[in-house]
Amino acid sequence: MAGIIVAMPIQLLPDVLISQIAAGEVVERPASALKEFLENSLDAQSTDIAVSLQQGGIKSLRVADDGIGIPKEELALALARHATSKIASLEDLENVASLGFRGEALASVASVSRLSLTSRARGERHAWRIDADGGQYSALQPAALEGGSIVEMQDLYFNTPARRKFLKTEATEFGHCEEAFKRVALSRPDVGFQLTHNGSAKWRLPSSEASKRIGAVLGTEFAAAALPLDEQGGALRLWGMAAKPTFSRMGRDAQYVYVNGRFVRDKLIAHAIRQAYQDVLHHERHPAFVLFLEIDPALVDANVHPTKTEVRFRDGQAVHRFIFHSLHKALATTAGTATTAAPLIVAETASAPPTPAFQAQPYPTYQPQIPLRAGEGQNFYETLFGRSTPLPTGTSEGATFADIAVAQAVQSISQELPQDFPLGFAIAQLHGVYVLAQNKQGLIVVDMHAAHERIMYEKLKTALDAEAIATQPLLLPLSFHADRLEVATAEEQGEVLADLGFEIAVLSPTTLAVRSIPAILADSDAVALARDVLRDVREYGGSRVLTERRNELLATMACHSAVRANRSLTITEMNALLRDMEATERSEQCNHGRPTWFHLSMADLDKMFMRGQ
Amino acid sequence: MKININRDTLLKPLSAVNGIVERRHTLPILSNLLLEGSNGQVSLTATDLEMQISMSVPNETGDSFATTVSAKKLLDICRSLPDSSEIKLADQDSRLQISAGRSKFNLQTLPSADYPTMTRTPNTQLTLRMPQNAFRQLLRQVEFAMAQQDIRYYLNGLLLEINAEKLHIVGTDGHRLSYISCDLGQSFEKQEVILPRKTVTELIKLMDDSEEEVLIEISSNQANFTFNNIRLISKVIDGKFPDYNRVIPTGHQNKFEINRVMVLQAMQRASILSNEKYRGIRMVLGANSLRLISSNSEQEEAEEELEINYTGDPLDVGFNVTYLIDVLNNIQNEKVEFAFADANSSCLVTVPDNQNYRYVVMPMRI
Repeated sequence: MAGIIVAMPIQLLPDVLISQIAAGEVVERPASALKEFLENSLDAQSTDIAVSLQQGGIKSLRVADDGIGIPKEELALALARHATSKIASLEDLENVASLGFRGEALASVASVSRLSLTSRARGERHAWRIDADGGQYSALQPAALEGGSIVEMQDLYFNTPARRKFLKTEATEFGHCEEAFKRVALSRPDVGFQLTHNGSAKWRLPSSEASKRIGAVLGTEFAAAALPLDEQGGALRLWGMAAKPTFSRMGRDAQYVYVNGRFVRDKLIAHAIRQAYQDVLHHERHPAFVLFLEIDPALVDANVHPTKTEVRFRDGQAVHRFIFHSLHKALATTAGTATTAAPLIVAETASAPPTPAFQAQPYPTYQPQIPLRAGEGQNFYETLFGRSTPLPTGTSEGATFADIAVAQAVQSISQELPQDFPLGFAIAQLHGVYVLAQNKQGLIVVDMHAAHERIMYEKLKTALDAEAIATQPLLLPLSFHADRLEVATAEEQGEVLADLGFEIAVLSPTTLAVRSIPAILADSDAVALARDVLRDVREYGGSRVLTERRNELLATMACHSAVRANRSLTITEMNALLRDMEATERSEQCNHGRPTWFHLSMADLDKMFMRGQ
Repeated sequence: MKININRDTLLKPLSAVNGIVERRHTLPILSNLLLEGSNGQVSLTATDLEMQISMSVPNETGDSFATTVSAKKLLDICRSLPDSSEIKLADQDSRLQISAGRSKFNLQTLPSADYPTMTRTPNTQLTLRMPQNAFRQLLRQVEFAMAQQDIRYYLNGLLLEINAEKLHIVGTDGHRLSYISCDLGQSFEKQEVILPRKTVTELIKLMDDSEEEVLIEISSNQANFTFNNIRLISKVIDGKFPDYNRVIPTGHQNKFEINRVMVLQAMQRASILSNEKYRGIRMVLGANSLRLISSNSEQEEAEEELEINYTGDPLDVGFNVTYLIDVLNNIQNEKVEFAFADANSSCLVTVPDNQNYRYVVMPMRI
């Protein structure tokens, strides 16, 4: 029984109803209306935009800009459905560079709220205003306005009580509005933004450089931990800031990706970013980043969804590769190279949760040792600096003036040299776990197991990357049931699969057989591996599943071969570790994304002891 | 209940059954063994629910009793007592008191009625008898090729196939396969079972080199082995073992014979510098020469040259060296024969003085 179907003739729906239906997609909550208004203001070349909200934007939401404004005769049309000044033909749509283009937003908002639009186009003598009350438009009235436009939305969903019920509390709706505001503000650092809520100012962002805007919106901690990035590749450019893996979040809140200035949440981009962080981030943590992708508008389609948070790329695989490589490169920094290295400040580390690996491994109670000291050569610096002849000790009788001069010169070099090593020189080992070192700025504390693990891991990876992939044909090929897409991929991408060390034969339209797999993964579940690889090859044109699996193996090997806690190291060994860290990529994090070292500057230490205060 | 028993008498069955007791269990009684006394003998039973081993030893005290006690602790205690000491076991208020000389131990017991013993299925379909040293030798030559915790569960064991007058035993992990057969001297109906890995290793451990017979009883879901006062009941793996006949190649033209120990030692040396993860080694065959070449990720290389009698095609084949070392280690014959078709098809290893043995290994593309 299909319920009651009332026989009705087929008819065109009234315009207001069409807009109200469209509003269901576009205007989900006040924040979506705010996004539309802000994008209109930006498309109108505004340089200063002020937003004021009442009751989380439900009661009133007002956006005032200083843009080009709307001429009097177009004002009524602006609120009509499918009316826009942004595109005029299909060619325009294909090359659209403005944020909006569908011509739906204002009409949709007007149909479910009390909207007023005041605007004074450049060159006009005064402003005009039009009101819309649930889709009923008033006549144009003269109004006072210096320039630009003001759009004000009141009582959202006053005429659709069903939707009104879906609105959350004022605080939640304000949170969403603020997020929408932040997204837009991040995308246009050259435009000044203001946000007031219930009369009190929440954000005031003067126009500034991109990095300052990012710092202002996402906080100074993010800015301190972020690596700037700017990569150009063909028609693509990726720039912005990506936080170091040690600045990771439990949630996905600090993730902003823009394609041609438009905020998007795209699966392909997210996947590429995730992969770039894969090696350095704990799998339950989320990276933080603000990234802008610039691409020829003709190569991307934003007209996927009315809210335009999804995009389609003409060549998704190339975009995926480009993003992955750019970000991967940026993240592959070595210890001590970044100027803002190790942003850990004592007060913050104290509040941070302790890392679980060491929590489960309490330090052994201290066993005092018999004070038998083996003499540690005090001239280890010399061996490090590669000097073979010992320093003349003092001015013995036979020494000439030249000898002394040389000695003094060498001495002054050796005093200056420590500056050249960002991680400095080891002083001691703490409870068999941490290496303490001093550099010119202060104290360095290194988690020796974590650091060594990363070094071993990177070595194993480079060694294996240099070799061709060894394949192990299977004595008993594994056949498995596959869907059509998998079969098609196996047929079409045979070469790609062979390069990865796979041989997958098509037995029937629904059966595939794995005939050989990469030798290093010979003990894994071949069918599951083949499925993962096929899916990756299909979606992203190549597969990192294998590299990831291989890296897991290597990580385990690295963990076993790295020095364990409680293994005492000599000063020379510790120095060698520090030098290795400086030379190893990604050595700021261990394989699990935990930091391997942090820095306490003399200033920080002075502060702790309240010296000079 | 009270029994007196010599420490040495008890130690033998105790260590025999202890092999299958898992240390960590969600079911506490499984870390116990069942201790039963009746009719002039003491018998010990342990199980992991997949298989069960019982062994009985004669003991004059005729007291009839049954209890369960921690297998590991009882073994440790007996083992550390002095040789030939007289042990007294006494069961009191759910505790087992063990005393020997001036040592005294009290162990917790659990009721024997709760012990999950496996019962033998009454419908045995096939009964075999053969000297246990012969059977053990058969198993030893093939067991190393069994898979270990493979998701293809049917590979985690050995196939026992009885067909007409022959017994075929096969093990494979999907990369290599070992096969041996023997004549039974009488004809049987076709029957096949897959013995779980653990059963096979326990059998090899428990059987000895004597001519004494082992009684093998096979039914569709159980295999029983009786030898040296030991009764081993094992479930069998319910699955279809791959058709080994299709995998064993015939007619490989490029072959050579070589001294087993010599080639084994050369391979062991070469393997030192093979890649530590996938252990690749190249066998390069030329006229009357075999070279074994390996290199690792640090660009270190090893090369071994062996003189052989070879007139076949020149070949360069890669292998996982572990698979080759495994077979050479597990057969005892003096000579082995390697046979190849080309660099991409499987290699067949046979033993000239035992036509019943075959080992197949897939090459690796390095």
